[in-house]
Amino acid sequence: MGFLVGLVIGVVSIIGYRNTGSPTLFRLAIAFCSISAGFFVIWVGYMVEDLVIKSGHLERWIQTLGIAIQTVGYFFIAFSHSIKSLFPKSRYFRSVGILPLFLVSSVQIEHIFRSVSFILLAYGAIETTLSYFENRNKGAISVAIGLSLLALGEFLGWYSFVFPESILYFVSMIIKIAGLIALFIPVSKIPLTKIKFDESFD
Amino acid sequence: MVEYRTHMKIIGDILSTTRDDLQDDDGATVTYLIRKANVSHSRISRILRVLVSQGLLEKVDAQGSRKYKISQTGREFLQAYHKFSGFATNFGLTI
Repeated sequence: MGFLVGLVIGVVSIIGYRNTGSPTLFRLAIAFCSISAGFFVIWVGYMVEDLVIKSGHLERWIQTLGIAIQTVGYFFIAFSHSIKSLFPKSRYFRSVGILPLFLVSSVQIEHIFRSVSFILLAYGAIETTLSYFENRNKGAISVAIGLSLLALGEFLGWYSFVFPESILYFVSMIIKIAGLIALFIPVSKIPLTKIKFDESFD
Repeated sequence: MVEYRTHMKIIGDILSTTRDDLQDDDGATVTYLIRKANVSHSRISRILRVLVSQGLLEKVDAQGSRKYKISQTGREFLQAYHKFSGFATNFGLTI
């Protein structure tokens, strides 16, 4: 579900980019293709575990890889809202910024990616809500709700580490899918059929 | 508050003017476009050169003055621009 919704929004963004050349649509295309790819990686992991390995649990590194790819997507959504101004300007800070990722285990990396995803999604939800107050576009409300649900899903997914045997992880996946559906609602209203012009215009 | 317009938005405004808000059937003069699209002369000259070279606008010599008319490709671009502008607005963004 997450793979399909992400893919459809990504494809619409690619069509938009090819038609207009807008860098904003290019960033959205990268964002949603990454989110879609992240869900796909996790789904493939579950399929391989179910049909081939049959170990009873998903390989941790596959889960981490899928979440990392999704985080790239969330980053590009936030980046479209000019989050670049928050980055440190110093080369030193930029170079050491990724160092901690090489010093921790895959479980801790997953924690980091989930928390980063949560921050990026919360940022995107707030910016989208603010844009609604500026232009009163109803689609923005749906997108803001979608991003908020995705953020909540990431938070619960991260919190499920505390209670590993509970249904928190399952609930987080349901909430994330609900978030993606909310993102899809305004996109589904975009007419993609080519409009024919009246000959009297020529 | 002054509204910031992206390069794409300015192109959209110029094309919209040449499609919907013409002085006459011959097209729009540079002066008219400057006033309607609210862009400086040097900037609009560069943009018009690009739009003509890309086939979105047609240059017409009418009654001694140079005018600009939107082409069929320009109309299709404008249609796509409005469609995907709405798409980006849903995400709180401008294209």
